[in-house]
Amino acid sequence: MTRRARFAVIGRRVALGRLVAVWLAMLSTAAAPPASPSDAPSANASGSPAATAVEASSTTAVEASPAAVEAPPTPPSASTHPGPVKAPPPGKPSPSGAAPGSPAPAARPPAIRFEEIGAKAGARLLHHTRHFHGTKADILEMFTSGGASVAVGDYDNDGFDDLFVTDSDDGRPCHLLHNNGDLTFTDVTEAAGVGKGNDPHSIVSDALWFDYDNDGRLDLLVVRFGTPILYHNEGNGKFRDVTAQSGLNKFGNSIAVIAFDYDNDGYLDLLFGNYFKPVPLLDLKDPHVLPNNLDQATNGGGVTLWHNQGNGTFVEVTDKAGLGKHTGWTLDVGHADLDNDGWQDIYLADDYGTDRLYLNNRDGTFREVTEEAIGIDTKKGMNVDVADYDRDGWLDIYVTNITDEYMQECNMLWHNNGVDAAGKLTFTDLSRETGTCSTLWGWGAKFADFDNDGWVDLFAADGLRSAGDKNYIPVLLEMIITPNIDFTDVNNWPDIGDMSWSGHQKKKLFRNLGGSAFKEMAHEAGVDNDLDGRGVAVADLDNDGRLDIVETNANQPMLVYHNVTPAAGHWIELKLVGTRSNRDAIGARVTAKVGGATLIREVNGGNGYSSQSSTRVHIGLGAATRIDELEVRWPSGLREKLPLRSLPIDHLSYVKEGAGVVSAAAAGFGRAAGGPKPAHAGNLPAAAKPGGAAP
Amino acid sequence: MRASGRLLAAGSLVVGSLALATSGAAPPAALAAPASVPSGAPAAGPGPAGSQAFAQGGKALAAGDLPAALAQLEAALAADPDNLRYASVYRHAIIKAGEYDRALAFFEKLVAEHPAAPFAWLNYGYVFVDKMPAAGAITQVILANDALKQFTRSIELKASWIALYTRGNSYLYWPKIFGRAPLAVADLERAVAISKSEPKRAYQAHAYAALGDAYWQTDQPERARATWQDGARLFPQDAGLEARLRLKGDELEAYIADQLDRTKRVDTDLHELWEDK
Repeated sequence: MTRRARFAVIGRRVALGRLVAVWLAMLSTAAAPPASPSDAPSANASGSPAATAVEASSTTAVEASPAAVEAPPTPPSASTHPGPVKAPPPGKPSPSGAAPGSPAPAARPPAIRFEEIGAKAGARLLHHTRHFHGTKADILEMFTSGGASVAVGDYDNDGFDDLFVTDSDDGRPCHLLHNNGDLTFTDVTEAAGVGKGNDPHSIVSDALWFDYDNDGRLDLLVVRFGTPILYHNEGNGKFRDVTAQSGLNKFGNSIAVIAFDYDNDGYLDLLFGNYFKPVPLLDLKDPHVLPNNLDQATNGGGVTLWHNQGNGTFVEVTDKAGLGKHTGWTLDVGHADLDNDGWQDIYLADDYGTDRLYLNNRDGTFREVTEEAIGIDTKKGMNVDVADYDRDGWLDIYVTNITDEYMQECNMLWHNNGVDAAGKLTFTDLSRETGTCSTLWGWGAKFADFDNDGWVDLFAADGLRSAGDKNYIPVLLEMIITPNIDFTDVNNWPDIGDMSWSGHQKKKLFRNLGGSAFKEMAHEAGVDNDLDGRGVAVADLDNDGRLDIVETNANQPMLVYHNVTPAAGHWIELKLVGTRSNRDAIGARVTAKVGGATLIREVNGGNGYSSQSSTRVHIGLGAATRIDELEVRWPSGLREKLPLRSLPIDHLSYVKEGAGVVSAAAAGFGRAAGGPKPAHAGNLPAAAKPGGAAP
Repeated sequence: MRASGRLLAAGSLVVGSLALATSGAAPPAALAAPASVPSGAPAAGPGPAGSQAFAQGGKALAAGDLPAALAQLEAALAADPDNLRYASVYRHAIIKAGEYDRALAFFEKLVAEHPAAPFAWLNYGYVFVDKMPAAGAITQVILANDALKQFTRSIELKASWIALYTRGNSYLYWPKIFGRAPLAVADLERAVAISKSEPKRAYQAHAYAALGDAYWQTDQPERARATWQDGARLFPQDAGLEARLRLKGDELEAYIADQLDRTKRVDTDLHELWEDK
């Protein structure tokens, strides 16, 4: 019985229905939570794993028509600030209506399916959390257990995305896994010289590929509870530690990083998310280092912003940019052009308190708009990923929190309402309405179109600590309810020993059912492992046009999910290469018009917790066999419409700023164009190709 | 994490009345004239000073003047600290104003000045419950626990039906992992026993429903059903008992879960105590 119905029943009893109705009206507008997930459209209520594949297909044929046949609600604008006025989202219908001349819809879009190949691919690395010493070692180990990370990047420009995978315990090396192009990997860490980072004073926590000097080769940043390490890619499979001369020498307890060009000067800057304040956790003098409030902590590490000087050095500009007042426990940082003004904005996901949203002032500074745009929350924010999940031309944000038996925060799917007539950008949390509220103890989560139907889906990792049968939560409760307890003192936290804490949790895969609802189908898709997930990276590891997943797990082995969706839709992939803009084209926006729908994709530099996905632009096309229009808006401001004849469907194309579509070689890449594994749909069985034969 | 008490879920009249009052309608009956509380009330009725202040508070509420209303209602409670009705109206005005910390400070002082007033303690506990929707998940746990402490103090002073029902019901909201359900059984069994020795009142049905829920949560479905049946025999018009006996399996499970949904504001309105005779 719904809340409204429950009170209605009660109201009859006292025969004062009118008064009750007034009260209900107040509740529904003020205090009532949004509708529960069960109120959202559900594609498959059977829950039967055996039946799900068929049911999902038949349902989505109705609810999730391919991109090509659906008109967008409103054409998005990537023009000047402020953007066009847009209607608020609640209750809005899914975009629908066929555009004249659209290709026929694909019959029964397929269920999504993955196969875990980590072991046979040579990518079954085991992560180790840092072991501490002393009386409260296990508590500190718990609080620093977030560092199982993966960064995707084609460091050798051979046309296949490689993996950098972190470890965190003292003396344990991180790993560079070279993609052999045949779904196998070779560990080249030693030859590359990038294994170091875990030492008695530092814990590796994250990693990022980015070309900081625009020389056409991806450099590598290793993030630590400590000082970061910057490796310059020497171009011969080797890397050189350039940290000392880079200026990135500030100690911080960093857990997240993104590379983005906040001032559009053509060089990638760095934003670090810092969890603890900058104290040496491995040589703790003062035990008062934990959160001072478990809902609104203010003693975290905040963020640090580093400006790339363009000469191989960085300088910290946190205060100058207006970010210095943030003192939250930052677990993830994300960037995107949220107000469609051509400049990159920032979302900060904070543990133990309020997430923060900053808009770019276009002068090297940011202004905080948290209260007016998203409100003040008290949740345990852990992930920031960005995509236009409903294809309305405005980028939305997905934040994971904690939703478990003992704590029901719900995630936040921030639907971007656009900029209103007064120039104000606002968001509405539609996680309950869309069915994406619960991912238990959430960690990394990524938007990606796994079935190439033109709608971005969501994969979310979860699970904190899987250990013995005993549960830590009741033990922790006694500490929490102790009067006047000082949460900051690590000595006040009860030992965890072999107890579990939100462990053994099944991962979640939410399939987008046309922009207004998602269906959870991790089990059918084969990705419902129960490891202690952390990072989620998405990349097309075998260049077959279907996006694969790499999941890292704390103190547990990583997983590589090869996408084997049997009848995924058509697709294109674009590798953008900046010339006036930063070479990685981070911040570039691709707008594709397909069958009356407008799809936008933005290249990001490491959005999502503890992971970096491929910087390639991937667009699923459903049954469409042509694109009607495709434009790239580069960070430099250049808008480039690409000639459609140069963009074959089911292919990876290279696009160079100002030069349009170019050969892989001309873009500085090698093997994909002429190597052993050409990047096209040939990897798919002919019978499995959607919409008939490939063009 | 949130746990609290679904107190008298049938409540809403006072809140609904306030909605009318603030929209300019005539003062509702609940506020029109102070009255002593029929169940569990102190032996002596409210004094004239409290009565007058309560009436003034009602007028201020009707006029939409929350600051004045709160001041008057606090004066009424200061004069009559054990008055459940005054406290109930005051707390709902507090909810409307969002001034939970003011109410906490007020009741903290009130119980310090009147440590032997069981219903002052009870209402002190309710304020913690009232504040929960405005708090974060961890703070809600702390508030829920603080509420339990005040309920316990109230029971120690006077093991009333309302206090036992309140605390027992509060335990039901705690997630199973915390093992509070057996405590709920104990309190609610006492509440039902007390109701059997008192004049029959419709609100007593809530204790039967909650006790059945407590048995349900402790994996005693037969005892749960028997308790609901006992209640339904006494209170055949009670919708909650009727629903529990009508529903089966997953539907019943879902219904009980909905009654104890921690994401919803818990109704702490006590109007039934004096309006339901």
